Amino acid sequence: MKRVAAGALLAMSLAPGAAGHRLDEYLQATLIAVSRGGVELEIRLTPGVAVLPVVMAAIDRDRDGRISVEEERDYAGRVAREVELRVDGKPAALSLIESQFPSLEEMREGLGTIRLKLRAERTGRELRLENRHLPQISAYLVNCLSADGLAVGRQERDQAQRSIRFEYSFGKSEAPFWLAALGMLVVARIAACSYPWKLRTLPYGRGSDWSRAR
Amino acid sequence: MKKISFLASVLACGLAQAQIPASVASTIVAKANGFLSSLDEGQRSKVLFDFNDAAQRVKWSNLPTTMVARSGVKMGDLTEAQRKAAMDLLAAMLSKRGYEKTLAIMGGDEALKTAGGGRGATMFGRDLYYISIMGKPSVSDPWMLQFGGHHLALNITMAGREGILTPSHTAAQPAKYTVEGKTVRPLGAENDKAFALINALDEAQRKQAILNYKVADLVLGPGQDGKTIQPEGIKGGAMNANQQAMLLDLAGEWAGIINEQAAASRMAELKRNLAETWFAWSGPTTNGTPAYYRIQGPTVVIEYAPQPLGGDPTMHIHTMYRDPTNDYGKKSVSR
Repeated sequence: MKRVAAGALLAMSLAPGAAGHRLDEYLQATLIAVSRGGVELEIRLTPGVAVLPVVMAAIDRDRDGRISVEEERDYAGRVAREVELRVDGKPAALSLIESQFPSLEEMREGLGTIRLKLRAERTGRELRLENRHLPQISAYLVNCLSADGLAVGRQERDQAQRSIRFEYSFGKSEAPFWLAALGMLVVARIAACSYPWKLRTLPYGRGSDWSRAR
Repeated sequence: MKKISFLASVLACGLAQAQIPASVASTIVAKANGFLSSLDEGQRSKVLFDFNDAAQRVKWSNLPTTMVARSGVKMGDLTEAQRKAAMDLLAAMLSKRGYEKTLAIMGGDEALKTAGGGRGATMFGRDLYYISIMGKPSVSDPWMLQFGGHHLALNITMAGREGILTPSHTAAQPAKYTVEGKTVRPLGAENDKAFALINALDEAQRKQAILNYKVADLVLGPGQDGKTIQPEGIKGGAMNANQQAMLLDLAGEWAGIINEQAAASRMAELKRNLAETWFAWSGPTTNGTPAYYRIQGPTVVIEYAPQPLGGDPTMHIHTMYRDPTNDYGKKSVSR
């Protein structure tokens, strides 16, 4: 029988409730999608169980222990206002495209993630974003998504990733070289498969399909 | 004629590199069929899904199965013979070290269950891993094995004689434990090789590689399929040959989980793209401290993220392994 000798290092997460889900942080993860038509933000907000009361105080304004549709909308609006987006130095108003709220039960277990999709129509060459929502309890991630033809300069962030700045531009929508090479290989392979290779393996001059084909 | 022959041989070489031997593919299919035939009808119906079942394909997580339900059959619900057949299948699809890593991750979950004085019995342990099969095991048609539970999600697509492991999630909590006096570190190599690499860079290279901000978690973890972020850090092309070899070796900790033949093909691909592969680091550079890193190239994204959840982050690690061009074998299946 195997004897599992757990060391002191194991003591950290013995409570089942501490396993794998957030505890004392409000994780705010933002992905920025820059396109020729504007900027889209996907923000995932995951409250840890220890900070849920703070987050709930911001959402459940009437303190009835439930989250109504109006409260969802108001909270999404608050986040949209507290995330400041600037394109070429000018404020770009964010409008809410989509929101998804988890159940309170999921949030109480530290598993619930609020998902917001925001959009600004402004286009330009330099983007700045600063997330000012509930900074006292939050940990942040912010990244720019890759896109075909999009060139992004050095991304500058503060140490906590509350803010990001980068320059961007769009070239021709060319596939990268490796993708083009892959495409060529696929095309070549299709051509190879379509070609009657097996005929070539037959001996010449014995009334074979190959000789007939010629 | 000569041109056509040359093209054919080039293609043949390319295909041969990407394929596992027919005998290995046949063995895997035989093991899969062996496992399926060991099940009763009710169990089999729980295990099998349509290959195109989009909901099942993405039904994996880092979280315990009591928090995020998985489909398939649970190891704890199988007889000893059925469980052996399931693990034999997994062993056939993975390399020796990949299989050992899997067992070590599951062993860590067992340690977590035991260490809580039984409090985690319903949430952790080897019995709480699930297996499912999408499609019909075949040496020609695509099918997929999903094996996972808390801190483990292996999504292995077989497309003819190609084997694809992306996207897959490995993790460890505790990241170090002892069994019969022997120390087990499921992701120890992922940690140690990364610290060796960051310390093998010179000062100017480190300046490029080390991000000036904290990364609190995986950026493209579970649920983030199909996204690619802008790469950061230092490019493989700015490393010397020794550093490049270290980077490739580090990536091999994930690429090498799948069986050796498929891994060899994947490693060759990663090697070809090494100059365009980025290595980014966030955190201190002394081994034993918590640091996040990311390897990102044209066909790979690897993330390693210590978790500040409930204690020492170095004892709780999450990792993610993706191929933005071929997750779930989408490229291979469409060939």
